[in-house]
Amino acid sequence: MANALVSRSIRTWYTQAASGRWTVPTFIIVWTVVVIVPLFLLLLYSFLETKGFKVVWDPSFHTWDRFFETGRWTVAMRTLRIAIGMTVIELVLAFPFALWLAKGCRSQGLKAILLTLLTIPFFLDLSSRTIIWRALLGSNGVVNTVLMELGITSEPVEWLIFTEFSVFFGLAAPYFATMVFPIFLVATLIDDEYLDASRDLGANPLQSLFLVIVPLCLPGVIAGVVFTMVPMMGEWVVPQLMGGGKVNMIGRSTEDALSTLNYPTAASLSAFVLAILVVLLAALTLLTRRRGGIAGLFEALKL
Amino acid sequence: MSTADAHAGAGLRRNQRLRLWEHAVYAPIWRPLAAWIGLVLIVLTYIPLVWLVVMSFSDRPLSGIPHPLTLRWYDELFATSAWIEPITDSLWLALVVGICCVLVSVPVGRAIPRLRRRGGVLLITLLPLFVPGLTMGAALFLFIRSYMHFKLGMWSVFVGHMVWALPFAFLLVIVLATRFDHHLLEAAEDLGASAWQRFWQIEFPIMRPGIVGAGLFGFILSFNELLRSIFLRGTETTMPIYTWAQASSHQSNVPIIFGLASLIFGVTLPIIGTFFWILFSRTGQSR
Repeated sequence: MANALVSRSIRTWYTQAASGRWTVPTFIIVWTVVVIVPLFLLLLYSFLETKGFKVVWDPSFHTWDRFFETGRWTVAMRTLRIAIGMTVIELVLAFPFALWLAKGCRSQGLKAILLTLLTIPFFLDLSSRTIIWRALLGSNGVVNTVLMELGITSEPVEWLIFTEFSVFFGLAAPYFATMVFPIFLVATLIDDEYLDASRDLGANPLQSLFLVIVPLCLPGVIAGVVFTMVPMMGEWVVPQLMGGGKVNMIGRSTEDALSTLNYPTAASLSAFVLAILVVLLAALTLLTRRRGGIAGLFEALKL
Repeated sequence: MSTADAHAGAGLRRNQRLRLWEHAVYAPIWRPLAAWIGLVLIVLTYIPLVWLVVMSFSDRPLSGIPHPLTLRWYDELFATSAWIEPITDSLWLALVVGICCVLVSVPVGRAIPRLRRRGGVLLITLLPLFVPGLTMGAALFLFIRSYMHFKLGMWSVFVGHMVWALPFAFLLVIVLATRFDHHLLEAAEDLGASAWQRFWQIEFPIMRPGIVGAGLFGFILSFNELLRSIFLRGTETTMPIYTWAQASSHQSNVPIIFGLASLIFGVTLPIIGTFFWILFSRTGQSR
């Protein structure tokens, strides 16, 4: 009885949702309220100030002035340095691998295994995966113990943990897949005829690579950069656990600012990240425009 | 031409294609190097997972050396109950997020590919994928707490999780809905099927991987979400917040976390592993 009632109401709800023209507009309105409005508010707050622990409505550039003058600028630059450096490293590592996975991997089974292995970690908690590196790289951890047992060093190697190096190291694995997947998807879509044609026209392998494959992969590369660099700029777990409080990035500063109720400063830090996101997204839109924009990528995925 | 010939022909063409790519891109050094890079990074990804499990049995887990072995940490884990409330809260929340992801992403996601101008809608829908968790968390915090003056709690964590998980659900549903052949529905309508029959008997079976995936994504993304939760939690504690608090605080509780994380990995790994294995090996075959 109750069962029949439930199933009927699901049916009614679904039929209305499916046929109604209001489904997408309603969703977009709700989504705008929970996503777009808060992000705009964030930008707005970065032009306000706090007086006596209250945010005062008096738009000015004070917060931004202080952003550029104080230690926050150092933190922002360090964040940018780590994010750009690591993104370049990931790109160099991921590009050949993604091409190989898309076109060079002969076994379908191996391909499915590799894709699965790359996807799984994304769904696992990052802090417990990162904390373990301390036990491996710490001054009395496994690596140092082995190095000293073998007599390679007499003192433990200290720069393995709680340095900028260790932050880089900790970011390498979690952000590899975010670079591989977009390039992989775009590379799968490349028509092999292009390569055939470029060879017939007398291009050598290097020319084929840089004049045909790389340009065709460019939207994937930019998407990979967006998916890798932007989240990395907001990264919090890895710099905290691998940097041990010595390598502060924007994430930590934002949290500090929020917990001291300094909302405008927190907003300006996040707005800095958003600005970089906007630049990268604009580049992506421009690059994909010729192929029908971002929607075109989905059409292409029809396979 | 018989089917066997056709298959042989296709096989030959595939080999030719592969050789073409190898010739162009993987001239001598590249090919093995490319594969090795991926292997090294995958190993680097899985070392912490494996070592975490090994260390949860080690007597001195913080030394990273698996000797001597002990079950002490698991005993201590089950002796305390501090983690039970966070994990139940997280499970309930993840369940609700997963169900809501399906309920929203299916009707909306299947409608989006039918829009005439969908570029802008897609961009807005998928935007949270690009925004770092911290930024989105801070933005929602300012909006809810400082601007609207609402009290934070599980409901605001839920909003944060939906903003994070829904775009992933959309990705799956939109890809499947774009592939979907709408002539099937028209044919069914001509044959007199009701709207519900058209959905339940035709669209649903074809969209099933997307629907299952949307729910699964919602569940697992919510269960592991940390950055947005931290800002939106108010006084609530979810599982990742608990783990994070223990991991970033000093030493003594860390070994227990190893045990707890191992148990959680033990449950989640097989589920997502199987799901993606099926997903990827199927798409591989269809090519």
